[in-house]
Amino acid sequence: MAGFLSTYGFLIVSMVMGALLGLSLYLPLMTGQLSLASPGFYALGGYIAAILSTQVFKVSDGLYPIGLVLLEMSIAGVVSGVLGVLVGIPALRLRGIYLAIATIAFVEVLRVLSLNLDITGGAVGIFGIPQPFLTPIEYLWIVIPLLLMSMVLLYRLERIRLGRAFTAIREDELAAGAMGIDPTYYKVLAFTLGAILAGVVGAVSAHFLNTWNARQGTFDASIVYLTSVLIGGTRTFVGPVLGGMVFTALPEVLRAIADTAGLPLWLAQFLRDGRLIIFGLLIVLGTIFFPQGLVTPDLFKRRKDRKSQS
Amino acid sequence: MKKTAVRTSALFVAFAFLLSACTQTNSGPAPTTTTNPSPTAGSSNAIPIGIALALTSNVALLGQEGVAGAKIAEKYFNDKGGIDGTPIKLVIQDTGGEEAGAINAFQTLITQSQVVGIVGPTLSQQAFSADPIAERAKVPVLGASNTAKGIPEIGDYVARVSAPVAIVAPNSVKAALKINPNIKKVAVFYAQNDAFSKSETGTFQETVKEQGLDVVTVQKFQTTDTDFQTQATNAINLKPDLIIISGLATDGGNLVRQLRELGYKNIIIGGNGFNTSSIFTVCKALCDGVLVAQAYSPDHVNEINKTFRTTYLNQYKKEPPQFSAQAFAAVQVYVEALQALDKKSEISKLPLAQLRTELNKQLLAGKYDTPLGEIAFTPVGDVIQKDFYVAQLKVDKDGNNGKFAFLK
Repeated sequence: MAGFLSTYGFLIVSMVMGALLGLSLYLPLMTGQLSLASPGFYALGGYIAAILSTQVFKVSDGLYPIGLVLLEMSIAGVVSGVLGVLVGIPALRLRGIYLAIATIAFVEVLRVLSLNLDITGGAVGIFGIPQPFLTPIEYLWIVIPLLLMSMVLLYRLERIRLGRAFTAIREDELAAGAMGIDPTYYKVLAFTLGAILAGVVGAVSAHFLNTWNARQGTFDASIVYLTSVLIGGTRTFVGPVLGGMVFTALPEVLRAIADTAGLPLWLAQFLRDGRLIIFGLLIVLGTIFFPQGLVTPDLFKRRKDRKSQS
Repeated sequence: MKKTAVRTSALFVAFAFLLSACTQTNSGPAPTTTTNPSPTAGSSNAIPIGIALALTSNVALLGQEGVAGAKIAEKYFNDKGGIDGTPIKLVIQDTGGEEAGAINAFQTLITQSQVVGIVGPTLSQQAFSADPIAERAKVPVLGASNTAKGIPEIGDYVARVSAPVAIVAPNSVKAALKINPNIKKVAVFYAQNDAFSKSETGTFQETVKEQGLDVVTVQKFQTTDTDFQTQATNAINLKPDLIIISGLATDGGNLVRQLRELGYKNIIIGGNGFNTSSIFTVCKALCDGVLVAQAYSPDHVNEINKTFRTTYLNQYKKEPPQFSAQAFAAVQVYVEALQALDKKSEISKLPLAQLRTELNKQLLAGKYDTPLGEIAFTPVGDVIQKDFYVAQLKVDKDGNNGKFAFLK
């Protein structure tokens, strides 16, 4: 067991982070907005943590204090939130595919900026980010509470007036407006909440990966997280959490399967190199057969019904 | 309703299969792709050396060249008797092109495969991410293709056999001045989204200034670009005598082609990204005459390089590239350090943790006669290499056959 934990500790933490990023993409989707901006805020949060920990709070020896990591996380959250409002107000006037394009452009702008600024280290990025823990698995102390907190908040959110307003906008924006819900306000709110979450996860991730550069949080990453949300489920927060975990682990799982002895060579090769093909296929199949994702509120409802019958 | 339930459960079952397949291999022997076992490597007490290079993603070409070199080294040293009769065994893990992949590969090698040391990863950015993991686990790492500034400084257990750009790059500028001493104006191009090109161009620009030349313009492009007309015209209008390009093979090759098509006649220097034969397929006859500095030459005259070159030629029907030679050298450093260590105290009796630490000390102290020439290490772990080379690309008129001709 200890061996398993030390080998797969990194992967387990990545899975939890994948779940968190899935949630950050799910938040704007709650109001029916397909936004791919989360990876941009994730990259931003990472840069904030990387710059603060290597240049502002210098810790010469020993482990980096966890308090400072939490401080970085809150700073990253605040900055992402402010930027989220600024970007959200104009961007959310767009709908559907146009919003998706605008948010892709936003991610691209951040990437080009980070390549050209001196403080972000250009293409080499920032390295030598100090570590708050000795082993990767200990990052669970930060990410598990973060995941639980977000899940509890979302669980409540889906059941109070705010969440109902989100759903109303998702189902029919015009009708929601007619009922006195201000769509722009709620859309920007959902978008900003997603941005804050992504920024906070980015800050942890920078420490976790030891280095941060412009290759983090790119368009490719958006597609992976979008897959996890679409396949996991877009109607309840459990979907993105499960989806994010499964799809973060999938490449490593495919690696392990490809290494199984006795597989024909072409299949092993396909499992190694065809990861993105498999992702794409899952998106297409998922949207055709499971338009609401694998985990839907119906699943929970039916279980409850059965319980009350017996 | 029933139908959806069936569909949902079917998909969940599929995922469960995927996951269980994963755990199955984990509970068994470590999920590794070992190389075709050479006659002696099959025995169970072989000493495992980890190879963590990119076999997939957009840097796969570089990683695969590295693995080819490492495999030749495995066979070569095992045929010579390994370490006092004990063979070595390469454990190869794919890192992909991303940081997380490199960390996962390192973790698997360190804890599951129990390697004595690791060669890799492919990219400097991956090294910044994964090397600290090895440093904390006290496992020696030898970079075979990491050239960015600051890699050996990551920690005591991190070293590299790949000479940093700051040392290799200036040689080609000097060679250009030898060909045409009247060079005055220099135009510099670089791929701004590539870590390597970015540090390389810094070195080039410093060298140019040291030689008393003028940098008339610095043009940026992206490795994904295909059209360089704007940058090329801007530069050509300033009438440079020399153009220096830091980029990867595809974009760099296209840039050379467009510069020549727009009428640029003078010398072009390519960076390390040009160090691959795939450049010839991109710019064909138009890349004739481009100068490239290299850390390795197939013509190097020592016994081990002759053997390495013939083996590579027989197996792959082409001259060995620099990355293969560097990976070979990295494995060789491990083997020779283990041999030296074995003379002091029998390594099969040392506990793994102590063996790793002792190996790291021994490795930095030694001197090695590799295909790259004679190398040694600075106390931090940077390579000290004696010989560097400048090659000129020579391509037939029809653009089909290209080769690197080494300047003396």
